[in-house]
Amino acid sequence: MTGARHDRPWRSPAEFAGTLPMHDPNEAIRDEWLGFPDALAATSRRSFLKLAGFGALAATAACSRAPIEKAIPLLIRPESIVPGKSYWIATTCGGCSAGCGVLARCRDGRPQKLEGHPGHPIGRGGLCAAGQAELLSLHDRERLATPLESGRATDLATVDAAISGELAALRAGAGRVRVLTATETSPSARAAIARFLAGFKDGRHVEWDADSRSAALAAHAATHGLRALPRLRLDGARSIVAIDDDFLGAGVSPVEHTAGRRAARDPAARERFARHVQLESRMTLTGSRADRRVKLAPWEIGAVASALATSLAARAGVPPPAALPPAAEPVERPLAAELLAEVERLAGELWEARGAAVVLCGCNDLATQKLVNSANELLGAYGTTLDLHSPSRQRNGDDAALARLRQELAEGAVDLLLVAGCDPVADLPDGEALAESLKRVPLLIACSTHVDATTALARFALPLPHALEAWDDIEAVSGVVSFRQPIDPPLLAARSLRRTLASWSGDARDDRELVAASYSALVAERGAAASAATFEQALAAGFVELPRAGAAPVARFDRAAAAVVVAPPPADGRLGLLLHRKVAFPLPRHAQNPWLQELPDPVSKVVWDNYAALAPSTAARLGIATGDVVRIEAEPSGAAVELPALVQPGQHGAVVAVALGYGRRGTERFARAGPKWLEGRPTTGANGRVGVAVESLLADVDGCLRGDIRSVKVTRTGRRHELACTQDHHSLSVPEHLAPEGGATRDAVQSVSLVALVERGGHARVAHAGSSDAGHDGAQESAADAELWSDDHSGEGPRWGMAIDLAACTGCSACVVGCQAENNVPVVGRDEVRRHREMSWIRIDRYWQGDPEAPTAHHQPMMCQQCGHAPCETVCPVLATVHSSDGLNQQVYNRCVGTRYCANNCPYKVRRFNWFDYPRDAAHANLALNPDVTVRSRGVMEKCSFCVQRILAAKLDARADGRPLADGDVQPACQQSCPAQAIVFGDLRDPDSRVSRLAGHGRAYSVLEELNVRPAVRYLADVRDPGEVRDA
Amino acid sequence: MLARNLRLLAVLAALLGGGALLAGGELRLPGDHSGFSPTQPIAFSHRLHAGEMGIDCRYCHAGAEQSRHAGIPEASVCMNCHATVTARRDLVVAEQAAATRDGREPRTVVAPELRKLYRALGLDDERQRDPALAPQPIEWVRIHQLPDFVYFDHRPHVLGGVACESCHGPVQAMDRVRQQHHLSMGWCIDCHRSRVPTVLPFAAAPEPATGLPAGHPATVSIDCATCHF
Repeated sequence: MTGARHDRPWRSPAEFAGTLPMHDPNEAIRDEWLGFPDALAATSRRSFLKLAGFGALAATAACSRAPIEKAIPLLIRPESIVPGKSYWIATTCGGCSAGCGVLARCRDGRPQKLEGHPGHPIGRGGLCAAGQAELLSLHDRERLATPLESGRATDLATVDAAISGELAALRAGAGRVRVLTATETSPSARAAIARFLAGFKDGRHVEWDADSRSAALAAHAATHGLRALPRLRLDGARSIVAIDDDFLGAGVSPVEHTAGRRAARDPAARERFARHVQLESRMTLTGSRADRRVKLAPWEIGAVASALATSLAARAGVPPPAALPPAAEPVERPLAAELLAEVERLAGELWEARGAAVVLCGCNDLATQKLVNSANELLGAYGTTLDLHSPSRQRNGDDAALARLRQELAEGAVDLLLVAGCDPVADLPDGEALAESLKRVPLLIACSTHVDATTALARFALPLPHALEAWDDIEAVSGVVSFRQPIDPPLLAARSLRRTLASWSGDARDDRELVAASYSALVAERGAAASAATFEQALAAGFVELPRAGAAPVARFDRAAAAVVVAPPPADGRLGLLLHRKVAFPLPRHAQNPWLQELPDPVSKVVWDNYAALAPSTAARLGIATGDVVRIEAEPSGAAVELPALVQPGQHGAVVAVALGYGRRGTERFARAGPKWLEGRPTTGANGRVGVAVESLLADVDGCLRGDIRSVKVTRTGRRHELACTQDHHSLSVPEHLAPEGGATRDAVQSVSLVALVERGGHARVAHAGSSDAGHDGAQESAADAELWSDDHSGEGPRWGMAIDLAACTGCSACVVGCQAENNVPVVGRDEVRRHREMSWIRIDRYWQGDPEAPTAHHQPMMCQQCGHAPCETVCPVLATVHSSDGLNQQVYNRCVGTRYCANNCPYKVRRFNWFDYPRDAAHANLALNPDVTVRSRGVMEKCSFCVQRILAAKLDARADGRPLADGDVQPACQQSCPAQAIVFGDLRDPDSRVSRLAGHGRAYSVLEELNVRPAVRYLADVRDPGEVRDA
Repeated sequence: MLARNLRLLAVLAALLGGGALLAGGELRLPGDHSGFSPTQPIAFSHRLHAGEMGIDCRYCHAGAEQSRHAGIPEASVCMNCHATVTARRDLVVAEQAAATRDGREPRTVVAPELRKLYRALGLDDERQRDPALAPQPIEWVRIHQLPDFVYFDHRPHVLGGVACESCHGPVQAMDRVRQQHHLSMGWCIDCHRSRVPTVLPFAAAPEPATGLPAGHPATVSIDCATCHF
């Protein structure tokens, strides 16, 4: 077994090293008992009986009348609302600037669940984890509720009166007014800002992004005369090379690109399968899904881009692109020979797929981005995979303009600074210096949803409405205008930036009127006045598509190219530092959201912390283990941070990677995120906050904010900080004795190479139970035929089942948060997660395979498999988990007495026990609960129900309409949210249903098939194109 | 020792049982609230409206066919009639007779219970908006209440032709509504399991949307997850 380990999947370095007792029969018990073996011994029989006695007493005492409840109807009912009946509102996600369409399920005026808008051209029906979690952000009790004047609560009228006098003086005087926002995708808000600034002699709007794409924007301004990001259209791509760009994870528009990648990869046909090669230094979500992943240090990016562009130019038979710096001179050290060979191979592959190929680069360096543009131009990407005719507006931040503003602030050359929707003090390096200069601004106004580091300095702080409470028009991609309409009534009386500026400019119109006016202006400007939808129609649909205007920009590569800015490789004993954004936190404010804090990182599976990720070899060399607190000291500045280390397979050996967006003001409240009990520990760290802020280590290079050029010294501090990491929790394994004759046990994740798949006509040749090499797909014929149920067991009606395509799944974890929102899954806090007590009903198992220094990764969503022969059912002493007539494995909370035998006997480890009545943050947050799903109390077991409430609702809808239930009528929350459409749900007894067809697919297999538990979930083997015979 | 303990137990049991009999007069299971008949903020009579007037239940409880909740009618529904009907007919007639006799304009007669409705809407006796009166929702006391772990949906029951009286009892004969049945799980299951029309059909109901005749044998699920999830 140990000898064969290298080609078998593993989950953590401990498991790889064999120090994790995977097959220890006590493991399940430890999983159930606090995760600590001593806890078993600590609970004596005597103390158990004592507590049980109290429990019995409490039960007797509780036999009194239920409290009287009031039923308070509305006085006058709005026409469209039926109490207790759900309805849908089309709106636009405010989770980041990508602008995905959202359908909000509302009941009695309150939003209950956000789902992707299936017809929307950006999200295409998917919604990422951060988008799903916006529901909880709306109900955040720490949102700024009233305007503040120097920290004291006041009201809008007072603020307006105070400001109008100062504005009048500024309009008459020098009027150096600056408005600083994050990327503003709303045309009406942009217009309001422009109108406001036009009233001053020297007014300027500065945009910047915490996840800056300033260099790519500037590069397109230089090469194409248009300062915009091209819209990435992956659907028709055949070859994708991404250099340090996490476009499926923490990227510009991850949902859109995940859907595009899925469409571009059809495992049934090799010519419709886009090969994806990722060059990167840390293991990103995108890298974990690449067909081939090449480790590339940040300081090599420029040279690789240069070599790639040169090689492509040679193939095209043109002189090296004019934008190229002469032969990559600025690179101090030439690229390693194998890296050059790799680049040469990639150039060949791209060239072969030209017209359907694209090079992506996330590096915020202007010259590198120009090189990438020239490579894409040579590949014919513009007009095919990259669309500059209707470009993306999802990033518009300008780091150079920001640097100029900082300069002005330092010089005291700004009279009025209005900061809206961003927190520069927390998100920029030298935040303290910025804070000092902000204190000197005569009038500092901050519009924000929270009291953040910048807002705390402002003389006036104005609350911003949440995206679900606001009117808005969003043009995230040119030509696609999405709308927001407020959910009525708003929780807090906040005023939008648009409305604030309009009223300060003397415009009395309200938000709806401003948005409507902006829409008619936009329609007229695009020459679509005759054909476009009315404003009301557009609102109902959620979006409109307007015709594109003008001609596509033409590329012009001039000779005056900037040199590639590359930091020298770190000196011996030093490491390169890479600061990056997290998948779960596309905007810094998401750190205030407990759903996202408790979402395991798709790659590291760590929750509630950031950490210094080190390659296994580097960690071993430095004598650092996961959980050791290390000191990261930047050279030569001396800025230092201390945070726990994490050994990350697949990471570049000379790089230490740390996530930005942690240690933020306002996360102190999560100290009480978990249940209160004697041994409970706070969720926050030693600094009183969640994680450690590393923004001070960002660097401003030539007007571009960079997180990848510092050289640092990493040393041990001797202290430890246990990270809460779910990667070894709830692991499943096949007992050795069930291995086929003479073979090894089957793996939970199966994968197949594209070439092999095509050769075999779509059959994955996945290993099935009972045979080491089974080409067939029938689980039932190969597994033991023992039947648990008698012949008279119901064979009619549906048998609900699910198929999950591992080739499509990226591990983005949208389903995890979607499930949490739909099924009232509580947040348990860092300490409870550390004790293996996370409550999520769906988890994503991430397996590594191969060498820890360069492994491949697989993501496998794992939820209750709704077994036909469910092992949990047979052991429950009180029949709290039983089989339904439609094949569901039902969990009956009111019967459960909490023996936890079922969880013990579950081979998939998907059952979750309520150790506590988990704190429901505040009455506010309870408004986000789904009223159709029970809130479980302490002492009961729970698990995935296949969203039975949705099955029931769909059945009732069909019955009310007098029609049979159709395939696709029922969509569990996980399927609905999936941007990659990897999950399909339906009736396995209907041979024509999508799920039936997939269950019989050549790639389909069941996890732990040898146990003959007959799971209702079938997985489709992962497909990769490692490319070994690609050239043949 | 054992005998003494047994004696003690017997005494305790007698005390508990006796206490319960003295207090409530009957022994009932926890959660059984049958007979619950609280005083409501407005003494609304179902006997008058559903019984004497014969108004269909679904006129006021309109949610029953569309939603999980039958719903307590909004005050605006009451005003469909009570914008004009302000008191018992005989009182109005008597006032008119008195006015004719005295040679004056008849005064508006407003029943005290209806006045509460008008006040809730912020209206004066002439049903005109009175700015001095703030509209105030009416806080009815909920009578039929299931535990939080039970999902009950009116829609399939009403659309399936189950008459309201099957579960709510003879509401048309009650002045003040009383919980007729104990609404225990066994009571629900009895009906779900029988698969024969033990339910009272809707007297005047149209054909249910399922296309099945009223009072048809019910094909209903007895899976736990039909109500518990």
